[in-house]
Amino acid sequence: MANNISVVENGKKQFIVVKIGSEQYGIDISYVDNIVRMQKITRVPKAQSYFKGIINLRGEIVPVMSIRTKMDLEPDVFTDVTRIIILKLEEHGVLGLIVDEVKEVVTLGPDEIDKVAYDAKNSKSNFINGVGKHGDELISLFDTNSIIDETETV
Amino acid sequence: MDVSQYLEIFIDETNGHLQNLSDCIMSLEKDPENMDTINEIFRAAHSLKGMAGTMGFKRMQRLTHDMENVFQEVRSNNMSVTSGLVDVLFQCLDAIDAYLENVKESSEEGTDDNEAIIQELNDILAAGTGNAPAKEEKPAVKEEPAQNEGEDRFQKKYLDIEFSEKEKEELRVSEEKGMKLYGMTVYIQEDCLLKAARAFLVFKAVEDFGNIIVYNPTSQDIEDEKFGFDFSFYFASETELDKILEVSKAVSEIEEVVGEKVEYKELTAAAAKKEEEAAAAAREQEQKKEAAAPVPAAGAKPQTQPQAQNGKKPNAGKPVTNRTVRVDIEKLDALMNQVSELIIAKNSLVSIGSTSDGGVGSSNSQAFHEQIEYLERITTGLHESVMKVRMVPIESVVQKFPRMIRDLSKKLDKKMELHMTGEDTELDRTVVDQIGDPLQHLLRNSADHGLENTELRKKRGKPETGSIHLNAFQEGNNVIIEVSDDGNGIDTENVKNKAIERGLITPEQGAALSQKEIIDFLFMPSFSMAKQISDVSGRGVGLDVVKSNIEALGGDVEVKSILGEGSKFTVRLPLTLAIIQALMVEVRGEKYAISLGSIETIEEIMADEIKFVQAKEVIHIRGMVIPLIRLDQLLDCEPEEEEKESLTVIIVRKGDKFAGLIVDELNGQQEIVIKSLGKYINNSTKIISGATVLGDGEVALILDVNTLF
Repeated sequence: MANNISVVENGKKQFIVVKIGSEQYGIDISYVDNIVRMQKITRVPKAQSYFKGIINLRGEIVPVMSIRTKMDLEPDVFTDVTRIIILKLEEHGVLGLIVDEVKEVVTLGPDEIDKVAYDAKNSKSNFINGVGKHGDELISLFDTNSIIDETETV
Repeated sequence: MDVSQYLEIFIDETNGHLQNLSDCIMSLEKDPENMDTINEIFRAAHSLKGMAGTMGFKRMQRLTHDMENVFQEVRSNNMSVTSGLVDVLFQCLDAIDAYLENVKESSEEGTDDNEAIIQELNDILAAGTGNAPAKEEKPAVKEEPAQNEGEDRFQKKYLDIEFSEKEKEELRVSEEKGMKLYGMTVYIQEDCLLKAARAFLVFKAVEDFGNIIVYNPTSQDIEDEKFGFDFSFYFASETELDKILEVSKAVSEIEEVVGEKVEYKELTAAAAKKEEEAAAAAREQEQKKEAAAPVPAAGAKPQTQPQAQNGKKPNAGKPVTNRTVRVDIEKLDALMNQVSELIIAKNSLVSIGSTSDGGVGSSNSQAFHEQIEYLERITTGLHESVMKVRMVPIESVVQKFPRMIRDLSKKLDKKMELHMTGEDTELDRTVVDQIGDPLQHLLRNSADHGLENTELRKKRGKPETGSIHLNAFQEGNNVIIEVSDDGNGIDTENVKNKAIERGLITPEQGAALSQKEIIDFLFMPSFSMAKQISDVSGRGVGLDVVKSNIEALGGDVEVKSILGEGSKFTVRLPLTLAIIQALMVEVRGEKYAISLGSIETIEEIMADEIKFVQAKEVIHIRGMVIPLIRLDQLLDCEPEEEEKESLTVIIVRKGDKFAGLIVDELNGQQEIVIKSLGKYINNSTKIISGATVLGDGEVALILDVNTLF
């Protein structure tokens, strides 16, 4: 589960805050292996639509997913702040996520995270398992496991 | 006694002996009178018993002991080999195999006593010899040759040892403490591969009873295998000599142990003793000559002279030396990965070399290119060597099949024979490890579905005994394994009806299907043609598993069948898994690699040469009509506005089928390292078999042309 994440102190967790569209999202830092600049992505024919393709990360082949396509947002626009977050998931291996911008790393305590009820109708909310409050900003927290989940219809 | 470190050797050797036994029993069934085979079985059973005993696997030891008993009688012509006996022997092998499995998993032999099998063995023994199973008889028989030979061939070499002062002191002290001193010389069989391990086992066994004081050669030399086939030692113990001799002989591959109780005084009177010893040796030589005379005579009729047989034992057919090293497959994988990295690095040098022509001075550039070519040769050579290290003959997999077919023959009550060729064909270790199950499925399939029963075969004028062939050979970059039978063949009408019945196709669709398309139904999950489910097959989890297993290895299966004459399954496997020679092509600016192994030719054609057959594009070239595949359409590229006048077509081949792939550009040949796309990307069409990193860091996809047919 995504909940048994690295504990910093008194149940606090660290998240990398990224920007996708106008919204801010948090990714549990314990899953993040690396953050790389945008680079040439090789398209893989016949793959799921939300897979942009594969990249070469120091000799390793890493599949790259467009989280925008997966969440039914408008297509990615690549700028010089676009980054690929490399997630390392046990058993499943390495996976890249395209984000518009990487902002900062925040530490959130349990009292700063509100759980979100699962809403089957809203496909976008399926990837979120909590909302973090950091100052006056709200950060939607990704449920890393559901991002890689294959149940979504292509 | 701690024997865990020898567990692996034990498992390996037991496997070897089991296979040997299985082969021998098979040939014994065909030729029950063959004394060589019977002797071989006896030896193998005996070795198994010894090994099991050493390792403390009592149940295994008991079973092999009883097998040995039976063969003792067979060998002495007291009973004959019957088909019932062969059946029971195979049960024994299965039981030993089960013990071995337990040992592999838990280092314990398990708790199954296999009383039933032992009982059967003893019954056969009793029936065959006409008297009650006489267990007591056995050790006596075994003891006899040992003693005879001990006198002739095995000298008491321990008497030659010279002692240092320190050793003398130790010997003296031990004796004063009331312990008995023994001198012993151990002879190891000459075909033993791990002498040091055997010596160690002997020392371990002996040290349970006392302390070893003097080694000759030194313990260090023994550990390093710096000794012949014997070693001597003195030790102090409170136990009787017989007991100690017994435990040391129980170590397998020990040919003989000679020893006696010695007195400290005698030992220290070394000079005198040595003279005496020389005389004794001379005496023994004489004795030996006398004893040697009757042996050749006895050898002429070995069945009545078990002693002569035991004397020949060390030379039995095994390779004497085997200069090999065991290497963990993971280490090889690591080596392979490093070679892969080296090739990628080399490729980037090549690409720098080809782009920096203008920048570097021309003489420098020349030297640079030469060096790169040199590097290229080395990496290619290195790759080949590493690949070869990983190659093993498929023999280890297929050698169990004759036995399986024999069992199936009994079970299905059909007469059949398996003919195998090309067992020495080599494949990558990882492929060999996984090819066993699919091949087994195919053979079972042939035996159960393929071959008709005896009456039908007679009616059809075929030989009563059905034959199944397993042929393996190398073809280009592939290894082909064919499983064929001369049975009924596939009744495509039947298969079609079944498919219609199961709602997979409509009758109209069925009418339009080609024979190949119909046969493909057989590879679908849970599609079984067997009318009844048997132990052998019929649950519909056969051919689809075969197909997916083989495809997982990067290979494919093809079937050809003629109704009434038989069918042939052709399994095609890639020789190597990790690195291939490939042609780099470009389609709409995207780079793809196509394995050179499947490319037949490359043609330039004009657009107006394309003809249409059944609304599909084909070209007619050198008398062949070859279907065309436009890669840009297949790979969902952006369509090109203008049709080009001249097209580059790569003719690829799979078996005897051809296809032409239209590409935009050719980028030359390259050695590429295959990397997996990972589990995330859905690759159900399997067109893309992997990816590779090019010299400039770009990623190219590898097209698996086998999926295009």
